Amino acid sequence: MAKAKQIPHFDIHAPNDNNARIIIKTRLDEMYSWDACVDSSDRVQDLHNLRIAAKRLRYTLEMFETILPEENALLRKEVERIQEELGALHDSDVIIALLQLSLSRQDSMSCVEDAQSTTSQGLPKARITFDPALLSCMLDPAVAPSAQERQGLNLLLTCLRREREEQYTAFHDHWYQLKEQDFRGQVVDTLEK
Amino acid sequence: MPMQIAPVCAAIDIGSNTIRVVVARCRPMDLDILATDEALVRISESVNTNGKISAEKRDQTIAILQKFKALAEEYSADPILAVATEAIRRASNKDEFLSSIRAKTGLVVHTIAGDAEAMLTFYGATCELAHESCVPARVAIMDLGGGSMELVLAKHLRVTWHTSLAIGSGWIHDRYLLSDPPTSEDVAAAQSFLQTYFHGLRIKRFPPLLIATGGSANSLLVLTQRAFGLSPERKMLTRDDLIRCEGLLYAFPTHDIAQRYQLESKRVRILRAGVLIICALLDRFRLHELHISPQGIREGILLAYARFGEHWLHIDQQSIRSTKPAAVDTPETFAQAGQRIIWERAQKMRTWHREVLKNEDIEVVHKMRVASRRLRVALDAYTSICDRKALKKVYRSVKKTANVLGETRDTDVMIANLQAHLAYMPEAEAQAGISWLQDRFSIYRQQQQKRLESHLQNFDEGRVKQQLADCFAEERRWDGKS
Repeated sequence: MAKAKQIPHFDIHAPNDNNARIIIKTRLDEMYSWDACVDSSDRVQDLHNLRIAAKRLRYTLEMFETILPEENALLRKEVERIQEELGALHDSDVIIALLQLSLSRQDSMSCVEDAQSTTSQGLPKARITFDPALLSCMLDPAVAPSAQERQGLNLLLTCLRREREEQYTAFHDHWYQLKEQDFRGQVVDTLEK
Repeated sequence: MPMQIAPVCAAIDIGSNTIRVVVARCRPMDLDILATDEALVRISESVNTNGKISAEKRDQTIAILQKFKALAEEYSADPILAVATEAIRRASNKDEFLSSIRAKTGLVVHTIAGDAEAMLTFYGATCELAHESCVPARVAIMDLGGGSMELVLAKHLRVTWHTSLAIGSGWIHDRYLLSDPPTSEDVAAAQSFLQTYFHGLRIKRFPPLLIATGGSANSLLVLTQRAFGLSPERKMLTRDDLIRCEGLLYAFPTHDIAQRYQLESKRVRILRAGVLIICALLDRFRLHELHISPQGIREGILLAYARFGEHWLHIDQQSIRSTKPAAVDTPETFAQAGQRIIWERAQKMRTWHREVLKNEDIEVVHKMRVASRRLRVALDAYTSICDRKALKKVYRSVKKTANVLGETRDTDVMIANLQAHLAYMPEAEAQAGISWLQDRFSIYRQQQQKRLESHLQNFDEGRVKQQLADCFAEERRWDGKS
């Protein structure tokens, strides 16, 4: 997960309002630093980093809401929506990766170590790390899925991939809609009021 | 940086009715109360009669202060801060009284103005409120003392208006309610006075939440518990509770009530006035209940000292003098805002701790996780006001908790997601596959709950508080306010 950018050289005795604006601007730039990954639906980790950056911006706007003009609430809602869209996408990525693992490696427990850092099929740039305890639960040969259950898991996987595509499209459209509105410029404008 | 232990300080409040002490370990947003004591002296009795503090009241006060000072010294409290309020403000022999105290006890007592009293009370009474998860945006704080009543209105826990009214329970008692029990004519006269008095208070929108502090409000709560079986957990009195108290207090002589409900006789007498004042205020602002806070001016003094150091009183008076609404809201510096926000968010996160351990509602895991994120965002934003090493420790501790919460929450989300798919994938194979996966997640979720419980049970709250205090120690030294 990408760390929050540190902001040096604050005058700590200056009014809170002045520095708050600098912090918000930094978090806004951080979010837009992931802009290049938006067009690649398979950049799972980068999209996750974008989600974290959106979350930081959202909570920062919320933290300083009393010193910002009222329209900040609407802008914050948009950031929250982006974060939720990316959140749903990430949830799908996680469950898809787990399902792929379960279906491909049920035959041996030795795969647990390999699976802790895996590159999922169908998601070439997705590196999702799992808790070993979760993998042990999922890949325990003693409770391997039956043929019927495997068939069901495959159906579920197909359904989840379709949903993931829809989720990505919804997020992508929203992101571009905000770009057309010059959302970034709108946030900067409210900081200058 | 060496580990800094939050200092132990004591605060004494010489009120018009009661003298109280609190000894606590003090941090800017938080107190660990170590000891409290109080004594009902009713200094106002002699001031209301002849404008002076009598020799008898002075000697009683000195004896009590010696006892309180010894209590503070037992805990090595330093400093011992002391304030005096309305009755002493009005006494013609105030200077002589304070000199005697200083000579006999070594204590320097500050006579504070009503406005400062209101602000310090606000600090104390809202200390606990800042940790609550659902606080209305607008609240009112009332400190009903023996000689005066402080009223503070706040929005988002910042003062927007305050006043000190020169009426208190002792004052109403001495003026209207001297018979035992008072006659219906006495009561009617007191009520009529209060109605007229409060009618003159022009407040456009009174907040929906009224919090009362002070001896009368807290004693009425105790009386309601003892006389009417109110649960000790409930810290709120309804209009009906107050009417029942009023009925009881005016139906029987002081001695009977005191004996039956284990209250001091002096306290019972002034409670009669207290209940009338509170009812009149509720009527004036059409409120149906009031919440009671056991904390007040003394806790406010300690918090102000923890925040502003030696300037605790000076700063308050400065901000109040330039007052009326806007000036109380003087712009916070980046460092002040950072300290406040970080403490508030740390407290907020703490409020979910017990709920998560109950394991009754999966949403509380989510709420605690969100609270941890909010705290981290604040720590990221205010890094520059913190000591780096201390901040690293806090950050690590919060992040570790957030990770454990996150894994648990993510599993809950996956289980809910599968549940939704079960509903719209009716094929037998899909149902079998989803159920298999749900079972796997449920087993993992149980393991996660154990891990989470073990983590939270081992979570040393005191250590984290101390780490947070260490974060700000350096900044306070720069300010020269520690």
